[in-house]
Amino acid sequence: MTAVDPTLQLDVVEVPAAEAEAEAQAAPPSDGRPSPLGWAARALAWAFLAWLVLLYPANIASPFEVPAFDANRMSEAVIFAIIGLSLNVLIGYAGQVSLGHQAFVGIGAFTSAYVVTDLTQEVVLGVLVASLVGAVQSLLLGLVSLRLTGLYFALVTLVYGVMAQQSIFAIESFTGGTAGKIAPRPTGFESDYRYYYFALIGLVAVLVVDWRMLRTKGGRAILALRENPRVAQTWGIDTKAYTLFAFAVAGLFAGLGGGLLAHRDLQVVANPFDFNLALVFVLMTTVGGLRNRTGVVLGSLFFAFLRNGFLVEKLRLEEGFGPIPGPLDVIDLSPEFAPLVFGPVLLLVVLTRLPGGFGQLARPFQEWLAGRRFRWIPAEQEVTINDVRA
Amino acid sequence: MVLAITGTELVQSLVIGTVNGAVYALIALSLVLIYRSSGIFNFAQAEFGTVAVYGAWFSFTHWGLPYVVAALFGVVCGIAAALLTERFVIRPLSQGPKVTLLVATAGIALLSIGVAFWRTGDNALNFFDPLTQWEGARVAGVQVSGQRLLTLLLLLAAVAALTTFFRSPYGLAVLAASQDADASALVGLDVNRISMLVWGIAGTLGAFAGILLQGGNSFTPGAITSLALIPGFTAAVIGGLTSLPGAVLGGMVIGMLESFGRLSTFDSIPGASSVSVFVVLLLVLLVRPEGLLGGRMAT
Repeated sequence: MTAVDPTLQLDVVEVPAAEAEAEAQAAPPSDGRPSPLGWAARALAWAFLAWLVLLYPANIASPFEVPAFDANRMSEAVIFAIIGLSLNVLIGYAGQVSLGHQAFVGIGAFTSAYVVTDLTQEVVLGVLVASLVGAVQSLLLGLVSLRLTGLYFALVTLVYGVMAQQSIFAIESFTGGTAGKIAPRPTGFESDYRYYYFALIGLVAVLVVDWRMLRTKGGRAILALRENPRVAQTWGIDTKAYTLFAFAVAGLFAGLGGGLLAHRDLQVVANPFDFNLALVFVLMTTVGGLRNRTGVVLGSLFFAFLRNGFLVEKLRLEEGFGPIPGPLDVIDLSPEFAPLVFGPVLLLVVLTRLPGGFGQLARPFQEWLAGRRFRWIPAEQEVTINDVRA
Repeated sequence: MVLAITGTELVQSLVIGTVNGAVYALIALSLVLIYRSSGIFNFAQAEFGTVAVYGAWFSFTHWGLPYVVAALFGVVCGIAAALLTERFVIRPLSQGPKVTLLVATAGIALLSIGVAFWRTGDNALNFFDPLTQWEGARVAGVQVSGQRLLTLLLLLAAVAALTTFFRSPYGLAVLAASQDADASALVGLDVNRISMLVWGIAGTLGAFAGILLQGGNSFTPGAITSLALIPGFTAAVIGGLTSLPGAVLGGMVIGMLESFGRLSTFDSIPGASSVSVFVVLLLVLLVRPEGLLGGRMAT
């Protein structure tokens, strides 16, 4: 860059300032940089999001009064996001499904409660042990189901879930029977508002691990083998080992989610961990948008809020606004069953019409927030390549 | 733990195991049928039965149709559910990954359960009269109702019919389409129609199984899914997922295991039935992953 053509430089200088500005206004500059106004709008949006996630739930610098009850619901939603990310590793990255995720989460919850209550350890330790137990379980089931190609993990976890429900959850010394097991909150996070931050720390940790994992050799290997195991194998990827790795990571996240759920509830009972819950987990992950962290988090939040009644209450879906009747009331649907009806419909729409799920809908906003232009980015169509048999 | 099993208790649980196993075998048969032709685990299979039961019950109690007509209407509902699933979910996704299809069929099952809850409410225990008032027979001190004996008969008929079907030109076409859809289309097979045919058969089987299973019992939404889907899948996997006799054998094995798990000796173990089913599934996958009667499927 030493010898700059003088004529070229002259050309640039000679462009009148007013004309350049008019040009910039007519069409955005070619490098796509937003104007100062654009930056300000984005900063405002970022500040709003930060406020919404960090301050609003705990009533800090907020004109609203969030009751402790709702803060608790938000913690649940955050924990669901962790579970959603766990399933995303399986369905999205490894191309396998777990239909026994309720068991992983439930066993995580009981393990953490056991470690804290019976072994009188710190909550943080309990949650870590729960994650490890989750990883080991998932790894062992994976070892069995990978004896065959295909989605046997789904079936093995399905039967495992039922077994856990009827057998493991019935072991009184581990689960405390029908009364359940006490799971105290960690010191410093006792209130419902404080505990929200504890769950949030868990979610951030999972997001960071997930993000970094995909950048490693292992992460790329998993993505490659999902698309075509045979081709991956020819590239020297040990498909079995890496699928097992994905199972372990998913189990780790699920156990963590379970542990956090236990201490949120203060008392773990086995009842909620049934097969329906496993299906809800699969729904929220897929509807959120596989392989898209933001999407999975949004999907999980949506389903958690739909399940625990937060959405129905806040959007007044049942009582409606004055003369306008609530949509749930119109179709005579009890809010309790709303996730069972809307969930599958959303799922089928996402699968057949909108492969990117919520994540794809959120994508333009993400682009905009990152300082690029607001535009629709079509999801890549997923087509399995017929096996290369060469 | 003392192993104290009396002879009569053992024989009784054998009988109960066979009777329950027949139901699992019926579900397993339809799962194998779908798996053989499309390579999908169909989680909506048991719901075709539930749809049939609800159709029959609704037309019987609300429209006052005669019993036989109502039962047939239920079967038609079950078949319609299967065909709609094929047309609007399976076919559009047939090019996609198998995991998507699995999630989609699970979604259909959940949708069907959700709609049933929506229309009938939470504690909606409904009752549909049994197909036959025949008392059945007493086997080794266990009263086996006529309904259950009919189920066994249906199972035998279904195995015979499906075995014949897979030897007929239509059955061969199904197998051909499952091996290579493009090549089958090239030689003039209508792949879409074949797929419809298979799902129609699966829907019919599911519908009959549902009405036989639930007639004479009270049922709630998702009845057959919670009752027979998971044992049915386990049965199909144990039997080998591609083998029709394997599905029947698997169903019987699961039925027996469950009824043995309920023997008084195992009272101290919580959930002995499901533990034994799980352990046997693991053992089969470890020792003979292709299943008891399953061979290698040609690809």
